[in-house]
Amino acid sequence: MDLALVIQTAFNGLANGALYAVIASGFVLVYRATSVVNFAIAEFMLIGAYLTYTMSLFFPLLLALLLALPPAFIFGLLVERGFVRPLLGRNVVAVVMATIGLAAALDGATLLLWGPDQKAMGAADVFQLPKEMPNLAFSLGGVFLSSKAVWSLVLALPLALLLVVALKYSRYGVLLRAVSESETAALAMGINAPRVVAVAWGLSAVMATIGGAFLAGAAGGGGPGHHLILLGLIVFPVAILGGFDSVPGAVVAGLFIGLIEAFSQLYLESLLPGITQAIPFLIVLLVLLFRPYGLFGQHRIERV
Amino acid sequence: MKMNRRQVLKAGLAASAVYSPWMIARAQARPVKFAAILPLTGAFAFAGNAGLEGFRDAADRINDAGGIGGRRLELVVEDSGYDVARATAAFNRIVQRESPEELVFVYGDSTGTSKALAPEITRLRLPYSATSFSNELADPNTYPTIFVFGPTYNDMAGALLQQIRLQRGRGAKIFLCYSNSEFGRDPIPFIKDRAGKLGFQIVGEEVTPLAIADATPIVTKLRQTQPDFVIMQGYVLTVEPLVVRAAREQGIRATFMGTYYSAELALMQRAGAAADGFIVTYHNAYYYDTTVSAVEQIRALRRAKGRDLSYRTTYYMGTWMVLDAVAEAMRRAHAAGRLTRPGLIEALENLGDYNAGGQARNMRWVNHRLPFTKLWRANVRDGRFDAITDWVDGSKL
Repeated sequence: MDLALVIQTAFNGLANGALYAVIASGFVLVYRATSVVNFAIAEFMLIGAYLTYTMSLFFPLLLALLLALPPAFIFGLLVERGFVRPLLGRNVVAVVMATIGLAAALDGATLLLWGPDQKAMGAADVFQLPKEMPNLAFSLGGVFLSSKAVWSLVLALPLALLLVVALKYSRYGVLLRAVSESETAALAMGINAPRVVAVAWGLSAVMATIGGAFLAGAAGGGGPGHHLILLGLIVFPVAILGGFDSVPGAVVAGLFIGLIEAFSQLYLESLLPGITQAIPFLIVLLVLLFRPYGLFGQHRIERV
Repeated sequence: MKMNRRQVLKAGLAASAVYSPWMIARAQARPVKFAAILPLTGAFAFAGNAGLEGFRDAADRINDAGGIGGRRLELVVEDSGYDVARATAAFNRIVQRESPEELVFVYGDSTGTSKALAPEITRLRLPYSATSFSNELADPNTYPTIFVFGPTYNDMAGALLQQIRLQRGRGAKIFLCYSNSEFGRDPIPFIKDRAGKLGFQIVGEEVTPLAIADATPIVTKLRQTQPDFVIMQGYVLTVEPLVVRAAREQGIRATFMGTYYSAELALMQRAGAAADGFIVTYHNAYYYDTTVSAVEQIRALRRAKGRDLSYRTTYYMGTWMVLDAVAEAMRRAHAAGRLTRPGLIEALENLGDYNAGGQARNMRWVNHRLPFTKLWRANVRDGRFDAITDWVDGSKL
């Protein structure tokens, strides 16, 4: 076995996994705050990618990505205020159906707002070439890391880790934990629970924007489009593997699934076509069978 | 009251005098319907919406010129979302709702949908075409009502292999990269078989989903196998830009190739300079090629209607060509007094002398397909594809 190849595959897998981790940690954050499974998370990525695209028409790409984050945060707040808050306390099925409906509505909205044409970051029309992030690709001892991989590792991974640390040590993290333990008790303690929850949705949209922008080719190739929804499905196995209510779990699971995918694509795909797509979901099946609370989820005992 | 023979004849004459013009007028007022089931939402919405625009423009031009023998050509449009189940439901809705006298042609989407619907289309004797260029559909013995308005994926792959033979000769090393879909797999057995006969070596094969997050594993295999050519099949510019960019970034110098759905300017827009030299097959005219008379017709119509004159995609050009040719067959069937489903099939089969204004080599079917294509090379500096061959007959490869 070629050691350089294994190292390279591992790094690229971790880089992809960092993107999965950053999106999934936002998804889990919302679940912790509101117990709502956001089935529209892939559409959050889509909206984030299109916001980055819009900014990229006027600014360099890295700046465009940073400038897309405030509107993404506001978008998350609006979703929470318009769709989620009126449904809190209702039947879980109603909330699930609402987020599925939200996904369909956001799909339609992106088509209406940005049109169906294929787009590339920074290119206003089909005759323009795309804008790109500074090229950070490098080769060392036979190990090649693409610019996208480096950007994912230097931007997405620290961000996901920052979220983990912030939730553990910051005041907001404590407030969020209080709200997720018992919203009623948190309100009784004078915590502004609706604000805490709204911020969770906003942060989730920000995380999805970073992941979506990179998956949409912010670091080269591709562009925003509905194929992101196919890619966004990976969030569910990552979140389930991580424990669904654990942000550190989502980060570890994202990195793990990124690694598994990379090695599967390299070694298994030609033997079993389609296996790479299936593997995350096979892992989910195993997790649900043998460890339903995932790697880091709370092991709850419910009496019925 | 009892009527004698003379009175019956008079009443009959009077009734026919009153009703015949009305009946004729009613028949003429009845529209001719062309149904289009397109992916207007979802991952292929860009192609579906552009295709619909092509249909609408072509229908406007046909209706402005008097329709089909005085009958208005009407589009019946449904969204498939690029989903076989949804497209099948839409198809069933359309054929149950519309009268067979009015609905004489259906245009569907995707290889998967078309293969799923093919037996029912044949049973209904319904003229049909689709966005798919699957080899299996171009088989008039099995599916006598299905027409492929272009070369099949096998024809396109044959043209690419011919180019490889010209550029490199025997011993050329080819890497296959295709999506795990009906669309992606369609020409792969043909390519392998033909490559063997031509003395080429298939040095690697990669199967991927329709969308991927990272091209590094694919490019790693390209580094290991060092192919001369990489043929990509079954993608719509979500994967090709990622792979070609990552490959160039890692110094891989292989020539990249693709078929019809890679032949869009978005390849260059997305992959940037890395797309330069990418070879594709394409069998209609590009909108920027103003030497083609059909392009001039399209531009004239859009100018007259006050519509946007900027670039229209290959998906638009393809559907315009299909409706233009089908409408001509409808006119001929109408002139022969047989504007019915069987009459339209006969007219389509005899469309060989029709001049499509440069949108196709000709309308002479070979097994219900138009096997001619050209090869084009991406020219990033000029932002367009340059033709590198004349028409290649895929049926003779």
